[in-house]
Order: sequence, then C-alpha cells, then structure tokens
Amino acid sequence: MTPDHDAAGHSAANLSVTGHGHGASGKFIKAVDLSLSFGSTPALRGASLGVAKGEIVAVMGPSGSGKSTLLHCLAGILVPSSGEVHFNGMRLDRLSDDKRSALRRDRFGFVFQSGQLVPELTAEENVALPLLLSGMRRGPAMAAARTWFPTLELDGLESRRSGELSGGQAQRVALARGLVAEPEVLFADEPTGALDSMSGELVMNLLVSAVREQGTTVVLVTHDARVAAYADREVVVRDGTVGTLTGAKP
Amino acid sequence: MSAATAIERDASRSGMNGSGTVGLGLRLAVNGGREAVTRLVILVVAVGLGVGLLLTAVAATNAVTSWNNRHAWFWTGTQWAAPGPATGVAPLWWHPTSDIYDGQTISRFDVAATGASSPVPPGLSHDPAPGTYYASPALAALLRSVPADQLADRYPGHLAGIIGDAALPSPNSLVIVVGRTPAQLATAVGSVKVTAVATTVPGNLGGSVTISPARKGHRPQFAPNFNPNGLKYMPADTGAPASGTDLILSVVALAILLPVLIFIGTATRLSAARREERFAAMRLIGATRTQVSALAAVESTAAALLGVAAGFAIFFGLRIPVAGIPFVGQPFFSGQLTLSLFDVIVVAVGVPVAAAVAARLALRRVNISPLGVTRRVTPKPPGAWRVVPVLLGLAELGFWEAHGHPASIQGQIQAFVTSFALIIIGLFIAGPWLTMAAARLMARWTSRPGTLIAARRIGDDPRAAFRSVSGLVVALLVTTVATIAITTQDAKDPTRFGNIAESHVLTAQISASNAIARNSGPGVRSGTANPGPAAPVAPLAAQLSAVPGVQGVLVVRAVPGLTIPGRFENLGVNAFGVVAVGSVTPIPAGVVSCAQLATVPALGRCPAGAATAEFPADGFNGPLGFNPNVDTYTWPAANVSVAGLDALGVDGINVATNGAPATVERARTLLKASVYPTVSPPSTYADIAAQDDSQNSGYQQLANVVILVSLAIAGCTLAAGIAAGLAERKRPFSLLRLTGARLSTLRGVVALEGAVPLLTVAVVAIGTGFGAAAMYATEAQNRPMVAPGLAYYLLTVGGIIVSLAIIAATFPILTRITGPEVARND
Repeated sequence: MTPDHDAAGHSAANLSVTGHGHGASGKFIKAVDLSLSFGSTPALRGASLGVAKGEIVAVMGPSGSGKSTLLHCLAGILVPSSGEVHFNGMRLDRLSDDKRSALRRDRFGFVFQSGQLVPELTAEENVALPLLLSGMRRGPAMAAARTWFPTLELDGLESRRSGELSGGQAQRVALARGLVAEPEVLFADEPTGALDSMSGELVMNLLVSAVREQGTTVVLVTHDARVAAYADREVVVRDGTVGTLTGAKP
Repeated sequence: MSAATAIERDASRSGMNGSGTVGLGLRLAVNGGREAVTRLVILVVAVGLGVGLLLTAVAATNAVTSWNNRHAWFWTGTQWAAPGPATGVAPLWWHPTSDIYDGQTISRFDVAATGASSPVPPGLSHDPAPGTYYASPALAALLRSVPADQLADRYPGHLAGIIGDAALPSPNSLVIVVGRTPAQLATAVGSVKVTAVATTVPGNLGGSVTISPARKGHRPQFAPNFNPNGLKYMPADTGAPASGTDLILSVVALAILLPVLIFIGTATRLSAARREERFAAMRLIGATRTQVSALAAVESTAAALLGVAAGFAIFFGLRIPVAGIPFVGQPFFSGQLTLSLFDVIVVAVGVPVAAAVAARLALRRVNISPLGVTRRVTPKPPGAWRVVPVLLGLAELGFWEAHGHPASIQGQIQAFVTSFALIIIGLFIAGPWLTMAAARLMARWTSRPGTLIAARRIGDDPRAAFRSVSGLVVALLVTTVATIAITTQDAKDPTRFGNIAESHVLTAQISASNAIARNSGPGVRSGTANPGPAAPVAPLAAQLSAVPGVQGVLVVRAVPGLTIPGRFENLGVNAFGVVAVGSVTPIPAGVVSCAQLATVPALGRCPAGAATAEFPADGFNGPLGFNPNVDTYTWPAANVSVAGLDALGVDGINVATNGAPATVERARTLLKASVYPTVSPPSTYADIAAQDDSQNSGYQQLANVVILVSLAIAGCTLAAGIAAGLAERKRPFSLLRLTGARLSTLRGVVALEGAVPLLTVAVVAIGTGFGAAAMYATEAQNRPMVAPGLAYYLLTVGGIIVSLAIIAATFPILTRITGPEVARND
C-alpha cells in the first residue's frame, strides 16, 4: 500500500475527493461513490470522501445537502444503496447490523447537536455509559469517566442531571462521553449547533485538544465556517455529492 | 387603529374564546398525526372501559336493591311485616315454611283464601285453589326432572302454573305457593291470617341471624317487634343485608375502577411533551394561558365524550354476563341491572366535566411559556414516615389476635374494618417510598447500564412509577384476603360443622323448649313448639327405614320436665339458653330407644344393658348443634321402658343416611309430607355447608374477576406509561442505539421500568394480604388459615404474566422510534 492507495489498493485519483496534503497518505476511513435515497428523495449521489488517521475533517454544506447522511454512512449507521465504505481496510457496508453496532460501540465515538444525554443519569454516569455498555464494571467505568471532568472544565458537575446543566456544559459532557472509550474515530454532527459562539468556541477548543492528545480521527459535520476552521481539511457536500476541497487550516 | 378595526379584532378574539377554541381543539386532536390519533383512541378506550365498569357497578348495586326488595313478600305474616287493613279485605291464611333440595333452599307458602278479596301473592293472577300449587320456573323444572318421591310428593296436589319473574329475586329462586283450605291452615302450627302481602323488606334485624356456627355464649337477638300478632318466623331466603352487600360491591367497584382511573391518567400523558411544545408555539404567537388551557380541555373532553358513548355500549354488552355472576349467592335477571335517569346523567355529564378539569389541572404542573416548556427536574423524594400507617394497620390486627376481638358485632366491624382500611390506605401511602427504596438499592449495586437507567428513572419519580400499579394494591390485597377467608370458611368440606357421620344425619326437629325459644335463623320458627303426636311416628319410621341408603332412624320421644344435668359432657355450660356466661343449666331431655340409637351411632350410644336412654330434646337446635363429639357420648339410662315409648309424643326424628342425594331427598320428602311440623327444615350439616358454599362461591367468582381485570388493566397502564416515557426519551434512546447500544439493553430498560414496580407491588400486596388473612382467620374465623387453591395462584400468576406480556408489547415501539432517522437534527 502506498500513501496514495488504501489497504484495498484503490487509487486516490479515483476518488472524487482529492484530499491531498495532510490527508493524502492512506485513508483510515473512506467512502467511495455512495448513493442513498430516502423514499424517492436522493440524499447521496455518488459521494466519495477519504479521511486519514488522526485527521480532523470538516464536512460542510447547506441544510439538506446530505452531509449528515454521509456521516451516518461512514459511521455504519446507514447502509448505502450503492458504493463502498471502508474503515481501516474493512468493508463497513458489508458488515451485519450487529457487527456495525459493535464497531460503533467499541471503536467509534459520537457527539450530536443535542438531546443525547440520558435524563435520568448524572453527568458522570452519562460519561461512563459507553464503558458500561461495553461491559466494564461500574467502579472502573466511573473512575475513568471522572478523569474527563477537569479536562473539559466540568469540575463539580459530576452529580448534576442533564436538565441542571447549561447548553455548553451538557455538550461538554456529551463530548466526554464520546471520548471516554478512546475511540479511533469521533463523529461529530453539528456539535456546536445549539450553542452560542462563546460556548461553541470552548467546546471546539476542548474537542480539538482532546483528540490531538488521543490521536483520534474526527469527521465533523457543520454548517458553521468558524467551526470548520478548527479542522485540518474541509470538504463541501452539495446535492448529495462531495464537492470542492479547501485547504483551510484550523 | 380605527374603531372598526378594533371591533373586528375584538370580535375575532371573542370568536377564538368560543366555538373557535372548540373547533381548533378538535382539529388538533384529530389532525395531529398518527401519534395524536393513537393517543385519542387509547384515551377513548380507557375512558370507555372505566365508564362501562362504573355503570356496571352502579347497575349491580341497583340490582342488589331490586333483588333484596323482591324478598319483601316472603316476610308476609311475620312479626317484621306491617299488618294489613283491619277491615274491608277477606283475610288470607298464610303458612310460610322452608324446605331444602340438594342443598338449595325452597321457600314454601301454603295459602288459603277466605273470600274473593283475599290478597294474592305477587307473580300469581289469583290464589291457588286447594289441591294445586304454583312454582317458580326453576322449581317447576326440578319437579319435572326429579323423581316424585324425592320432591313432588312433598306438595299436595298438582302444578297449576308458574310464578311470574317479577315476584322472584333470581332466575334460580325455588319458590312454591300451595293452595289449601282454610280449615287445614287454621289448625296448622305456624299459620296466621293476613290482609296484605308485605311490600317492604324489614330493616336491620340487629343481630346474628345466620346459620353459621354460633359461638358459645353468643345469643342471636331479634329487633323490636313490628307486628306483635305476626309469626316469629324468619324466611329461609331473606336476601342479604343491603349495607353489607353494598360495601362489598363498593370495594369491588373500587378495586376495578381504581386501576382504570389510573390507566386514564397515564394515557393522557401520552405525547404530552409534544402537545405541550405545540402549546408553547401557540403561546409564542399570542395565545393566552386560558386559551391553551381551554384547548387542552377540549381535547380531553372530546375523548371523554366518545369514551362515555363507548362505555354505555360496553355496559349493555356486559349486562347479561354480569347478571349471571352469583355474587350474592344467586344470579340476577338481566333486567335487574338497571340504571336510573340520575345515574345516566351523572355519568354522561360528570365524566366529560371531570376530564376537562383533569386536563386543566395537569397543565398547571408545567409552565408553558412562549419560549418552551419547563418542568421540575427531580421531584422531592417521599419520606420514610409513609410506612407508618400500614404498620399501624398490621399492628392493630395483631393486637386483636393477641387480645381477642370485641364482643359485640358492631365492635368487631369497627375493629376489622379500621385494621383493613389502615392496611389498604397505608399501602397506598407507603408505595412510593417502597418503590424509591427498591430503585435506589438497584441503582447502587448494579453495573448493568439498562438496570441503572431503569432504576434511576423509577427512583427519580417513584410516585409516578407507583401510581401506574397502585390500582393493583387494592385488587390483590382485597382478593387475596377474600379468597383466603372463603377458603378457610368452607374448604369444600361438608364435615366442617361436625364429623362425617353427623354430616349425613337428616334431622327433623319438632319440639322447641323454653331454653331455645329465642333461637332465630333463616327458615327457623322461633318460640316454643310442642312435641308431635305419638302414633304416626312408628309407620313413618318404618317407611324411612325402607328407603335405600337409610342406615337407621332415631325417634326422640317427649317426656315433659325430664332434664340431663348441665355438667354432662358440659353441654349445659354456656349453651344456648344460658342467661349468663359461665353458668350451668340442665338440658331439656327426651328419651330414645337404645335399639334405635345403635342404628345412628353418630348420635352417641347407650350405657351397657340399658334399653332406653335420655337424649337432648332440642337435638341439633340445642347443645348438640355443631358439636363434633356427639358420637363419643354415652347417654344416661332412662327410666322409661321400651313399651312405654310408643305412648310418648315426638320431639324429633333423626335419620342416618349414606349421604347419597337421592337417599337424603327421599327421606326428606317423607318427613315433609308427614303430619309433623318442624321448627326448621329437615336438614343435614352437608345442606348447611352447601348453602354456605353457594354464597362463598359467588364471592370467589367476584374475586377472580377482580384479579384478572385489575391485573390486565395494570398491564395496560404500565404499557401506556412506558410508551409515554419512551416518547419523552425518544432522542437520547435513539442516539444511544445509534452509538452502538444493543436494542436488548434498551428493551431491558423498558422491561425493568414496568416489571419492577409491578412485581414489587404484587409481592407486597399479596404478602400483606396473606398476613392479614392469617390473623383474621385465627381471630374471627376461629381456625388456622387455609391456603387458597390452585385456581388463585393460576389466576394471579396468569394475570401477572399477561401484564408483563402487555409491557413487552411496547418493544416494537422502541424499535420503531429508535431508528436512524431520529439522528437527523430537527
């Protein structure tokens, strides 16, 4: 395998996203010619994207362009009707639902725009939830969760419920939950969409700092150029295809 | 703004406050998508169920009143019936007695008109002529199907017609009106002239008038006489004390209605969050709080109106099957299950009004502002003091068990009713705390995420979690106690009133001494009664001995003034007729032939070498009543020769049988057709047990219905609560699933949130019921508790399984609402 080819030997030139530079040397996760429709409405029309290991890629586009759908296909949440999804040499789109779920549980992390915290659990229990779901015992899981609170400036909020947190605090708890299991890839869908600019900036600074430390690959969906500026690379999704590449740096 | 514009604006505002609000509310209820329609349908079903059950309970209460009132004419001629007009009406000779066939009571009235204006019993067009009789449909069917020597030969003449339904308490009533001549009844003991048929049932008779074993030292009492010239006779079929039956029906109605009301309340929570967000959007564009409140009320009222209509349909559908449940020991005529105009109006108007009020109250718990809906995050937890009332109730019951219950009936009612009321109410009060304690324990010790989420949710709002299943508390507690009490009472054992041999002795008691003159009971003619004539008994005894299955005949001959010392087997200590507890009274006695006594060993034996022996004259009506040791007694030898017996009158006739129904009925027919009038119907202990059982089996059927219905409704309530909870947590659960949480984990959350409260309440309610019933059995029923039979366990476990299955029916909702489309941002 060369830097321009993935584990399966596909040439980077065959991809519609020519992510050269920082992302060119081997694609850790990639989509090839994805198509997917919801009913009669096409959401993706031959979208392709490759992301290198440790890279932060921002996927931008107007509302309804298909960027969240692309993220869901990359994460194994949706199976495209045609095309291929690869993760570290594995064909994701050919895995069973159980195996894709296991992948999301054990190797991926997620941060959504809002509403992901379980309202009955405390902040630290929410953070520990992925570890508990993977079978870790309660004591070690809670201890691991607590280490994230100082990192994400959440000291003293461990026992609070989601309804008792501000929007920014809740989103940082969600970020901690996304990272507590040390995922290989973090998928973030509009992580600052429900926050004001200052809170959003804080969340993004902490997110980038944390993923850099862990070497986590990040696929970040956003419509906000200021958020996209944190990424190593930006791509644009328009009408279901991945379009113009920018070389913007965070 | 011009005046015209202002007026137009104000007019449009007032339009929104009136028909506009109703129209908008209805559109929101129906056009709010599948979720709104589903909610509406569930509400309509829930309200319909509740209204149907409520109407059925009200109609059943009315039916009991009607059933009781139809017993009124049975009291004709007794001391408790008002006398008719003194002049202007030709008297009717009236001779009420009772009879038994196969454990069933037959009410018999021998009548003889003295003129054309003599009163006519209800259900008949005229008084029966001598040599004819009228029977109820059920008795007429028996007369046709049973051999004459077992039943029809008791009645002189032939069947001339059927008694109309309007005169009968129940389709199963066995009633006969026999035509006689005035001369025949004028000389018969227990006859009286009447000028009117009774139309009202006497009020409270003020004492124990049942045929259950009376405790030593406890004397039944009569109420003050209403008609001093009337008969001291209580009909065999008296109906039931209205207060007692109404209480039972009220408890049953509550046990079924409470789960339904809770189901309705829970169903209103379905999609509440989405409704409230819709209302917030309306507030944003200018709707006032009052308008929003009115919209909510319109939706609830619309559902309630449809539910009321469905409820009436359910009631009319349930009428016939409910009429067949013999919860007063007999089924009803379906026409007796009626509703008054007042009942209909109260339900048809009251339920929608209550729904509208409830909707407004529910909205007060949330603050719907133009910027959204805010709720309290975590309610204040319930305190540990909540367990005090139920502990007090159990302690009170334990106190009565340890120290003995009050002597008077009224005192006993107060003691047991307050104990059980404290226990039931106490469980309601303690429920949230118990739920919270269990949930906190679960949350503290579990590592499983599904259990953690479920435990936290239950622990956050234990009141809501308990409310879903609180209706079960009453149902399971009451039916457990009732079932055990019934099982303990009868245990399907005809020997519970005596040993086996005693159970099959048919006794015809002819005389009654002063000592038991005040005895009362259904079918009992109280007061003294003279012995019967001497001569006819010998051929009668011979006829009885010839009946296949008869093992022996014992005739008790009358010897006025003869007594057995009260210390003999302590029969005279605290016996009937004792004035003061602890005193000793000689037992009035007759004489029996030892040869005859040897053929009825259940009634004791003679001393060796004796030819005759002394024997209690009052028989089983006296100190031998419910005495299991009679067969061990060696009676004192009598100073009367065998030859001398034939000249003596007859106190009583006892027939030892093999217990076969045909044998008992043939012997009973011979006794009833004889010249000997009896103070109570010739009967065996097995007859008494069967009559006891028929009442109890009705209550048992009622208990079974309550268990099944309340458990099923609790399951529906839980399912509705779970569905509402899923709707509220749709997004976090969906995203959890997307991030790799197994569907089985989320199903586990759903299952635990439903199953934990259900099983906890079931165990606590059933356990408390067993405990309370055990104490009640030893204290009030004077015997150890008898555990209920397999049917109870099958019903209870089956009902719980059905409830859990209903909860599991919400799993597809979980699968559907946690699909990947939810991950798309709104």
